Amino acid sequence: MNFAIEDSAEQGTFRKEARAFIEEIVPSTLEHMADPVDMSYEQYQIRRDIGRALGERGWLYPSMPKEYGGGDLSAENVAILHDEMTRIGLALPPYYDAGGRMGAPTILVWGTDEHKKRFLPPICKGLVRTWQLLSEPGAGSDLAGIKTTAIRDGNHYVVNGQKMYVGSSHGADQSWTIVVTDPKGERHKNLSWLMIPMDLPGITVTPMDLLATGGEGGSGCGVKNAVFFDNVRVPADNLVGGENNGWKVATTHLEVEHGGMGRLADRRAITDFINVCKEKHDGWAIADDPDAREEIVNLYIESEITKLFALRNHWLSHTNQPRSYEGSQYSLRRKLSGLDIGEKMVRIAGPLVLTKDKRWAPVNGAIEYFQRDSITALHPGATTDIQRVIMARRLGIGGREKEKAANLR
Amino acid sequence: MDLSLNDTQQLIQDSAKDFVRGACGRDVLLKLDRDPALVMSTLWKPMSELGWTGMAIPEQYGGTGNSLTDVAVLFEELGCGPVPGPLFSSAVLCARIVLEAASDAQKKAWLPKIAGGERVFALALTEQHYNWSGNGIRSYAKRDGSGYTLSGTKVFVHDALYATDLLVAARVDGAAQISLVRVDAKAAGVAVRALDGFINGLSEVVLNNVKVAADDVIANAWGPAERAMLAVTPVLCAYKVGSCKAVFDMSLTYARDRTQFGQIIGRFARVQDHLIHLVNYLDSARWTTYEALWKLDSGMDAASSCHVAKSVTSESYMRACDYAHEVHAGIGVSREYGLTLHTKMSRSLYHCLGAPKLHRKKLESVLGLVAG
Repeated sequence: MNFAIEDSAEQGTFRKEARAFIEEIVPSTLEHMADPVDMSYEQYQIRRDIGRALGERGWLYPSMPKEYGGGDLSAENVAILHDEMTRIGLALPPYYDAGGRMGAPTILVWGTDEHKKRFLPPICKGLVRTWQLLSEPGAGSDLAGIKTTAIRDGNHYVVNGQKMYVGSSHGADQSWTIVVTDPKGERHKNLSWLMIPMDLPGITVTPMDLLATGGEGGSGCGVKNAVFFDNVRVPADNLVGGENNGWKVATTHLEVEHGGMGRLADRRAITDFINVCKEKHDGWAIADDPDAREEIVNLYIESEITKLFALRNHWLSHTNQPRSYEGSQYSLRRKLSGLDIGEKMVRIAGPLVLTKDKRWAPVNGAIEYFQRDSITALHPGATTDIQRVIMARRLGIGGREKEKAANLR
Repeated sequence: MDLSLNDTQQLIQDSAKDFVRGACGRDVLLKLDRDPALVMSTLWKPMSELGWTGMAIPEQYGGTGNSLTDVAVLFEELGCGPVPGPLFSSAVLCARIVLEAASDAQKKAWLPKIAGGERVFALALTEQHYNWSGNGIRSYAKRDGSGYTLSGTKVFVHDALYATDLLVAARVDGAAQISLVRVDAKAAGVAVRALDGFINGLSEVVLNNVKVAADDVIANAWGPAERAMLAVTPVLCAYKVGSCKAVFDMSLTYARDRTQFGQIIGRFARVQDHLIHLVNYLDSARWTTYEALWKLDSGMDAASSCHVAKSVTSESYMRACDYAHEVHAGIGVSREYGLTLHTKMSRSLYHCLGAPKLHRKKLESVLGLVAG
């Protein structure tokens, strides 16, 4: 076995190349903020520029096929790119974009040639930013219970309804969503997957006031929004995977969202926190207390297990191996261990981890953000309970047949 | 990055699976559990013939010099049984201690015999003040002519009842440092008594003025012995990974077969939750273990990973059995069913090579939370 991401001379050369290129395209004006809500429009644009520069080389979505603007890179080289972005406090992509991470693999599996040629290159090259719109006021865990309709009218679908907890700060060029195309149809057979340009008349975006967003560090989205559709006319050829086939299409991006790919960027706040505990102030460190040390070690072990699950999923998905319950297992683990680690931090260090005060907050408030984020992270990409349901199905606990994981490539 | 087994490891896995399925069926394991005296006569010859006693020993000492991961793959399968016996104690733990700590002459004298399975070693370390960090060792050896006489009482010694030789931790000539003394288990003054109860393979060893030769002493051995113990810890962890796997498979099968309230119990979310906890413990154990093995085999600093692995796997095996009992209810505690073989083993191995608490304590230093 080999757990190392960089393990050959060839890959060492690639890392050097990647590092040099990233250094070249990241301007000195780039600023990091603990809470993505504090990201200015200018800082967002800097990240989009970095995305376009990466996209030009096929490195924004490096595992996508070259012919659609990806890089066709090996699992190891993809991991190296993630690693190099994380090293400078960014992620891959360097801003919130549900287009490449979840939309593109879905289009690749379910789209026609025309869809692939039209949708994938702008996404992979970083020319567009895409949101995913799934949850609604009455449909969270029960995603198939959505009410937003898209009724065929000539060459268009007319969309009406409301989505919640979606998107990011600073808007999007397009959004993909699940909509009801057959209001009288049978459950699961009445839905379709639709790409909606966000500049169409009748779309209203309203920011929501949430504790945090629960996304991964580095590409946090800032705010989440409510999106209202009022007779929005969407070209009919933006429907991917066939009318009323949307539930099947959704299994692909849900697989990604449920952790099937494994996130290699670890939660930096954990390492930061351990370092804070070692710092001496007036001759005293938090880690001088034996009870605190015991908790810090437990926290470290928790985070190591989560890291290893992510690494395993990355390896499984990038080497195209059969997967079953592993995506949901990782997602469940990340959510619960995040919550647990957050609580441990409170027990160990007290109010120090709860403030973002400029004078007192460690690491510029990154740990305070982790506190809010780890609680918020319980719901995005399906709750812990839904993850357990998926695991049970995949393991075949409740039935004779083991449900299969969706295709990612 | 490659988390799959290589060809050699596949072969090892296959032959180990065949052995566990063939020679170690449930009836056999239950018989060996009732009568541990049958363990050696039933299992040792085939294990030696398969070359397993020499896997962790370098070729120059009569072994096959396999990687620790190779050895771990074997132990993962044995853990599925759970197959009892001294293979780990003798051919992995004691062999490694001898390799790290003993003189050339001692290695040449002892290792080939361990590798061939002719001699079976066990480590007699722990005493009344039970711990694995070398504290509170009262056993001592006094000079006696050209050799020594050794006295002391060891307790909760793994696999001593199967051993031909004991490596006894003792203080020699009043030295502060701990030495290891090889003792023939049949020598006059050695009394090995198996401990009965909810325990597997543990004994009391009383040493009463046992005569030992000077060349049976590994002087000031604690440093290298501790290094050796840490290095083979993930192999023991792999055994527990296999055990967790077997316990999970057993529970999954039961949840899919057992009917109550007119449906299989696996349909109940509460039952599903037990199995989900179980598979989470299994995978936590698996990946922390194999990461540590990879670091050891590639010569990296593996201390933190070894401590994490032992801490995680000891807890995992015990908790896996607990969840299995929640799934199985009554039938789970029927000895005939087989689950309790694991439950007992999960408790018996929890402290072996140091309980999670000790390894977490050591992690505090490795992570730089305390000086030293």
